[in-house]
Amino acid sequence: MSFLILGRRSTQLSRIPTRELFLFSCSFSSQSPNNSISNYRSTIFYSWYNSSNRRNKGFSSIFNGRAKNPSGSIWGVRFLSSEAAVEPTTADGLTVEGIIAKNWNILDDSEDDWKSHASSIAQSVHLIKKRLKWKRLMYRLEVLSAQLNKADLWDDPVHAGKISREHGSLMNKVEDVMAIEQELVEHIDMIKLAREENDPELESESVKALLGIRRNVKEKELEALLSGEHDNCSCFIEVQAGAGGTESMDWASMVMQMYKMWAQRKGYGVSVVDEMPGEIAGIKRATIKVDGENAFGYAKSEVGVHRLVRISPFDSAKRRHTSFVAVAVIPILGDGSTHVQINESDLRIERYRSGGAGGQSVNTTESAVRITHIPTGITASCQNERSQHSNKASAMAVLQSRLDQLEMARQAQMNAQHTQSLTEISWGNQIRTYVLHPYRMVKDLRTNYEVSDPDSVLEGDLDDFILSYLSTSIDKDEE
Amino acid sequence: MRLTKLSERRLRPACVSKKMKLSFIRPISCCSVSSPATSVKPQKPIFLRPPTFKTTISDLQKWHHWAKSLISSVGSTFLELDNGPDSELLLRELNWLVEDAIETPKSFLQQPHKNYNDNSSVAVRASLEQLYMLWKRRVEERMPFQYVVGCEHWRDLVLSVQEGVLIPRPETELIVDLVDDAIKENGELREGLWADLGTGSGALAIGIARILGTSGRVVATDLSPVATAVASYNVQRYDLEEKVHVKQGSWFEPLRDNEGEFVGLVSNPPYIPSKDIGGLQAEVGRHEPRLALDGGASGMNDLIHLCDGAVSMLRPGGFFAFETNGDEQSKFLVHYIETKKQGNFSKVKMVSDFAGIKRFITGFRGR
Ligand SMILES: C[S@@+](CC[C@H](N)C(=O)[O-])C[C@H]1O[C@@H](n2cnc3c(N)ncnc32)[C@H](O)[C@@H]1O
Repeated sequence: MSFLILGRRSTQLSRIPTRELFLFSCSFSSQSPNNSISNYRSTIFYSWYNSSNRRNKGFSSIFNGRAKNPSGSIWGVRFLSSEAAVEPTTADGLTVEGIIAKNWNILDDSEDDWKSHASSIAQSVHLIKKRLKWKRLMYRLEVLSAQLNKADLWDDPVHAGKISREHGSLMNKVEDVMAIEQELVEHIDMIKLAREENDPELESESVKALLGIRRNVKEKELEALLSGEHDNCSCFIEVQAGAGGTESMDWASMVMQMYKMWAQRKGYGVSVVDEMPGEIAGIKRATIKVDGENAFGYAKSEVGVHRLVRISPFDSAKRRHTSFVAVAVIPILGDGSTHVQINESDLRIERYRSGGAGGQSVNTTESAVRITHIPTGITASCQNERSQHSNKASAMAVLQSRLDQLEMARQAQMNAQHTQSLTEISWGNQIRTYVLHPYRMVKDLRTNYEVSDPDSVLEGDLDDFILSYLSTSIDKDEE
Repeated sequence: MRLTKLSERRLRPACVSKKMKLSFIRPISCCSVSSPATSVKPQKPIFLRPPTFKTTISDLQKWHHWAKSLISSVGSTFLELDNGPDSELLLRELNWLVEDAIETPKSFLQQPHKNYNDNSSVAVRASLEQLYMLWKRRVEERMPFQYVVGCEHWRDLVLSVQEGVLIPRPETELIVDLVDDAIKENGELREGLWADLGTGSGALAIGIARILGTSGRVVATDLSPVATAVASYNVQRYDLEEKVHVKQGSWFEPLRDNEGEFVGLVSNPPYIPSKDIGGLQAEVGRHEPRLALDGGASGMNDLIHLCDGAVSMLRPGGFFAFETNGDEQSKFLVHYIETKKQGNFSKVKMVSDFAGIKRFITGFRGR
């Protein structure tokens, strides 16, 4: 028995869910078609195989030729339709939901208590599934699998690539969660077994492993907040000063600075695309580009109106002022997404601040352009590059994203609020207040999260605001 | 068709003798590394120099602070005087100078106001004295910013420029787009021989060479030895020695060998009327070479010469694009071509720049 257990440990319990391993375990599946775990793995293998071959058109024929397992069902579909059979359970029939129902006390993770670890892991898994909108996700996966199995899929390689990418990314998420569940029940089995066999070393090893999983899955809770279709994209952040002259223009530049610093802290690339300075201080409006994984997923929490209360340094009478700034965030869709087609002939490209004769008579480093998309009236401009050509290219990128955003809003694929452009954001839609006088505080009006140190927030310490917003807005959605 | 043959034949004897003479006199004008010692040595732009100078953050901040105070004293006086730069533009230029001159510009620019006692050292591509001197010349002598940093960002290129060479203008970028459109319509143009007349820094020649096919070539000519030296340097920097040949000489003269073989001609010749030169913006009038600007009494001496010469240089179906001073010159030239060069060209038209000024004329050699 203990020999057998060791054997299991080496292949399953201590298994790291790497793709190589899944590949390996797949080779068993055709020999043991009735083993549900093998089927589960072969599905995962299929997803790995599929995502690594998505650019290879020739792959489709291999896939169609070999996709069926001996019982005749297609891997992906079988996996999904036999989900119940796959649900991980302990030897004595305890499921992850079952663990939650036991209501074991969750103690601090420094306590060596396996029930506490197990309970915490089960709670996290539950939360993650909720955040991922599990049922919807599984349904989507089923739809995608069905499409992937169509014989004519690769007749349209662009569409096929999109489907296969989405399937791959959803599959990764499912794979992750199910691997955690599997490990959880296996370790519980192991602990019970160790007790029966009186093997404290084995038991403590598994308790330790549970602790590792518990910490790891806590981090995954956060990741699961960013599961929206475009969350992983880079984005543009736009800021516009409200009424109130120099004071609110100064506030706009403070807000912009806050985002630049936030983005730098997160290791994102930041570049100013467009900036319209105020006459005396601050900015009227500005656009920055934030480059990096999940930039949009986080920054979208900032959409809305930000309010500042302070004694204005621009008021000689030292009165208290309230000013407003609107923030919009636009995802920059990756190459895999469908972009709105822009017709050259629909564009009007103008030079900004072109005074005088131009050409040889003028020497200037000012080469800003504004591009207008005539059918929609949407404009974009860029002035921070050093050549007109690059300014035009940057402005085109902004225009493309704005048009894509408009199209997304039209298709209502995203939370309506996040697709709003700067001009559509109502000044009534206040999301956060920053008070510097008479007391000091920053408070998010959506979550009631608040801190008493505005300076650190204005220096880009925004993550807590963002995460509390993301979790409240997602977790309150009932599935 | 027969007419051109005749004129070609008539030209030939003169051509040959000139060529023979030239082969004795003319220095090696192709962009070879072995240019004679007498030729102009191109200067390296600041951003390409090694960061061999060491200075402290605090000294650099003092310089930066001084440079900014110089800027704020300008306000909008230059703008009102001759449409020169205002302080906002100068501030942006100062940031670019910092970007070009300091090895780690980001960390410096992000906290310029913090403290003045930071004695940690920074690596810089020009000495502090040079930085003071350069910025002083920028503001007090109105030296163009591009001569200060030794380069101009043009299209997706960074071209080396120095006094004696015209700084390529943003308007001129569009000529490359016009060529691109023509190439897309007629694939033969992609693989043929092009000429950029009066190449200056080599901007057009390089921009075009980069969109031509593998067998496409560009001959770039200029009368100015500084221009040919700088153009050759830029061609080298973009690894285009195979594709772009820089030759010194007046307009079509260096091209006589290939008369009638060109699939495309582009040029941004001097086009400012002589009487306007005195009133130019200081950056242009005081610093840029007159040879690059002055187009004679009407401003169109060279443009007319180019229109005349294009007939015999271009192959049937070949494309031309010339930059002009604006609406008036463009209209005149289109009319000139339609009446005086009747039948030689087709699809002659004017094209506007992004300011809405009819900046270019384009057309095709008739087939
Ligand atoms: C307005 S600049 C254009 C430079 C460059 N093509 C550009 O667009 O930046 C005109 C150029 O024509 C050159 N040029 C003037 N007279 C010339 C001539 N007779 N033959 C050849 N080039 C000449 C000048 O030296 C100058 O480089």
